[in-house]
Amino acid sequence: MVAVMGEGTGWTRRAALGLIPALGLAGCAGRSDDAGTAPLSMWAMSWEGDYSPFLMPRFTARTGIDVDVQSLPTTASHEKLLTAFAGGAMPDVLMLFNTWVKEFATIGALAPVTAAPLVADVFPALRASTRVGGHDYAVPWSVAPQVQFYRRDILAEAGYDAPPQDWAGWRTMARAIKRRRPDDYVFLMLLNWPTALVTMLSQAGAAMLRDHDTRGDFQTPEAREAFAYYVSLYTDGYAPMVLSTEMQDPVAAFATGYCSVWPSSPPTLKDFARRADLIPADKWSTARLPGPNGYGAVSGLSASLCVSTQTRRPREAWALVRHLTSVESELDYQRLIGNLPARTDAWGAPQLALPVLRPFAKQTRALSVTPNVIEWERIQIEIQSAAERVIRGVQTLDAALTALDERVDRLLAKRRALLNRGVIA
Amino acid sequence: MTRQERAGWLFAAPVLAIIALVFVLPTALALCLSVTDYSIYALADWSNLRFVGLGNFTDLLSTPLFWRALANTLIFAALGVPMAIGTSLFVALLLNDATVRWKPLWRVLLFAPYVTSIVATAVVWRFLFNQRFGLINRALGAIGVAPVDWLGNPHLSIPAILIFVTWKVFGYNMIVFTAALAAVPQDLMEAARLDGASRWARFRHVTLPAIGPTLLLATVMSVAGFLQIFAEPYVMTMGGPAQSTTTLLYFMFDEGFKWWNLGQASAVAFVLFVMTLAVTVVQTRLGRRREWL
Amino acid sequence: MAVTRRMAVTRLRPFLATAAVALLTALTVLPLAYMVIVSFMPRGESTTLPTPLWPSRWSIENYYELLVRRQFDGAWFDYRIFPALLNSLLVAAISTLLGLVLTVPAGYAFAKLRFRGRARLLQMLVAALVVPGQVAMLPLFLIFKELRLVNSYAGVILPSLAGIFAVLFVRQATLAIPDEMIDAARIDGASELRIFAQIVLPLLTPVVVTLAVFMFLGSWNDFLWPLIVLVDQHLYTLPVAVAAISREHAADGELMMAAAVVTTMPVLLLFLALQRYYLTGLLGGSVKG
Repeated sequence: MVAVMGEGTGWTRRAALGLIPALGLAGCAGRSDDAGTAPLSMWAMSWEGDYSPFLMPRFTARTGIDVDVQSLPTTASHEKLLTAFAGGAMPDVLMLFNTWVKEFATIGALAPVTAAPLVADVFPALRASTRVGGHDYAVPWSVAPQVQFYRRDILAEAGYDAPPQDWAGWRTMARAIKRRRPDDYVFLMLLNWPTALVTMLSQAGAAMLRDHDTRGDFQTPEAREAFAYYVSLYTDGYAPMVLSTEMQDPVAAFATGYCSVWPSSPPTLKDFARRADLIPADKWSTARLPGPNGYGAVSGLSASLCVSTQTRRPREAWALVRHLTSVESELDYQRLIGNLPARTDAWGAPQLALPVLRPFAKQTRALSVTPNVIEWERIQIEIQSAAERVIRGVQTLDAALTALDERVDRLLAKRRALLNRGVIA
Repeated sequence: MTRQERAGWLFAAPVLAIIALVFVLPTALALCLSVTDYSIYALADWSNLRFVGLGNFTDLLSTPLFWRALANTLIFAALGVPMAIGTSLFVALLLNDATVRWKPLWRVLLFAPYVTSIVATAVVWRFLFNQRFGLINRALGAIGVAPVDWLGNPHLSIPAILIFVTWKVFGYNMIVFTAALAAVPQDLMEAARLDGASRWARFRHVTLPAIGPTLLLATVMSVAGFLQIFAEPYVMTMGGPAQSTTTLLYFMFDEGFKWWNLGQASAVAFVLFVMTLAVTVVQTRLGRRREWL
Repeated sequence: MAVTRRMAVTRLRPFLATAAVALLTALTVLPLAYMVIVSFMPRGESTTLPTPLWPSRWSIENYYELLVRRQFDGAWFDYRIFPALLNSLLVAAISTLLGLVLTVPAGYAFAKLRFRGRARLLQMLVAALVVPGQVAMLPLFLIFKELRLVNSYAGVILPSLAGIFAVLFVRQATLAIPDEMIDAARIDGASELRIFAQIVLPLLTPVVVTLAVFMFLGSWNDFLWPLIVLVDQHLYTLPVAVAAISREHAADGELMMAAAVVTTMPVLLLFLALQRYYLTGLLGGSVKG
């Protein structure tokens, strides 16, 4: 016993003396600084993250550079990226949704694009959303306008070949479906996912921000119309009041007919392809989203690739971006995960002529532009939670919109001050 | 310096140094941050940093979400502490009954949830609470209760999370109370029984005073714990529905590590700090008056 | 009549009391049991109606996919749960060992060694106990950034070593050791280190084991700080990795349950193995079996 304890003390003393270097060692073990042999690091969200290894072998074969891809959960990606930047631990290459590019460029996280040809032939609306102060900060990778996926069989039962083009018609269709299937819902729109509502707002013509984007502008008739329409789809029982945490499996919900219309973006194509046994291809189709008076511009989660300012290997990082955004790679990705190419040159390819892609193709010519302020991600969440409060009956529409304007004014206070001082344009 | 003094410092200094580095220094810095407008703009360029005095605190007062988070946190504590402590005490009393067999077995099993990871079990409970597929609604359905939207109804989300938290933590205080109950003077208990005191009277006049200090300490720790609820709503509801489970700490995490408004977030941290302190002081006073401490 | 009924109640009591406790225990264990059951269901079964209570067939595909590899379109992907398991083990083991090395001697010093400032420091430690650690979290990140500790194991471990509670816990236990024993050793000319190692430490063994289990559990289950400070998924600990896939793959209920089992079981087994020490430590030796 004594001997054992003696050994214990020896260890204790050594450890106590060696504590500081030991911690230093543990620190080094965290991240290898050896830039020469370590793989290039890249972060991506959604299917892009999961499937990027498919594109890497060719890149590695051509350049000899290994790439390590980290897949971020979409709902936690914004905070993860900001924290990584603040902590000085950014990857070399990162995927960003276009609405985040200005934010990350402003804080100095993104290296500007120096090779102009890289961004020469992308959709102009995409390029516009990734330019800050006259410089390109990202290479658009995909275009992702929202469309609606609908169940052909369920709509046919209700007497529809395709969904109507305007809001009133959409609602009439919903009523017809709900009458036949009282226990199910019609629209699959998760309550913490702002894209559907933001699209409705821009379709209704709401500017959302005013005074050089320094104040909220949600008490206009246009904004009110969009909010009221969105809210009514829930309160009338056409859309289930669920968050993404509660909807265990949206694809299954669509496949079982729990919801028959799903406003979504190209990644859903991949979800359906992967689970074709559950949802055969002849059961569903796509159509453009309705507007208040017919089709209009919609928003979406288009993505871009950026190079971090913290990278020690900018040359290799740009080579990777160039590889991933080439027409060849974008078409590969389209085949693999449904993503639609950001390069207009790619759209001549036969694979993009599929009937289910036609609504997307048409919609790419009408992309709405959301206010380009670095607070936008946060404002979107406020917009969505204002709607959620009305839907849940916690607040009236008027109270929610007034509160939303106040909240957005507060979020933009710093921007207002900097604008007044002339620090930002 | 005596030999003993040297040894004392040698033994105590390393941990004190680490406490100073990771606890004292940052807490002081947090106070400094809370009077600046450190935001994402300051992350971009330090020259955008301004001293704002108590501006962050006055801003908080006019932020509806802050009040909602404060109210939610207080609801969590006000409902959760009696729920958790009550369950612990109830089970401890039940286990304390001399006639119960195989006590060590029950103790171990009842304690088991406490050692599990919050994240993992929150995932499990999110699944149990699911409105359509959850086991809980299936059980309720068997006795004719309509499906309850546990995590989707803003009025039920806090109680639902509290059921989970109670399940998760009651084992700890159950053990603590078991220890305290073992120290209840048996002769006093026997005397009370002979005097014909009712079960409740015996609990009130013999058991309670004996376990009073333990109960008070457990309550203080529980209040402090419930004021710091974060992981449960993060995993189960992301602060929703309709922000009904956004707690102060969740709000601070959002402001700080999601949006990098460190100024605002530090102000929230201080509100939390002051609240914890106040609770501790009040409860200690209360304890002193009752002569428990 | 009344007397017989009373006797019946007295005879029934052990059964009733034990049955009540057993029922409560069953309710408590049920979520954990269901977690294990669902984790063995074939993919998609748990989200069918009526909610299944038992797998139609026992399948290990969820564990295989989670721990080994996962197939998408002919290529294999990795959730990196197994590496996260190793990371968690490493982090928990190091922080437990270092935590004990740091706090046990300190607790002893605060109980038995006289040094200047001891009383004041002790007061400060007790006061610091009620300060929520989250207050320090935001600036700590900035400090760690300067020290280049963000995204490293040291960054996760270091804050867990500031064991104020552990110091006070050890001090409390050490107070029970009679001074005479220590003084006698001093008179015999033993060094302070020797006194601590050969006299005090053996007496503290149960407390140290309790504390070790405590620290290990605390580190294993820690979530918020690792979530913030670990950026690279190769360094993720289990709860962070599980939270990440729970946000992205909530659809795969069975897979999530398997992840929960993998996260929960190691500590549950550790606890079951050491429960005698651990619970005795908590019970303060006042309750026997």
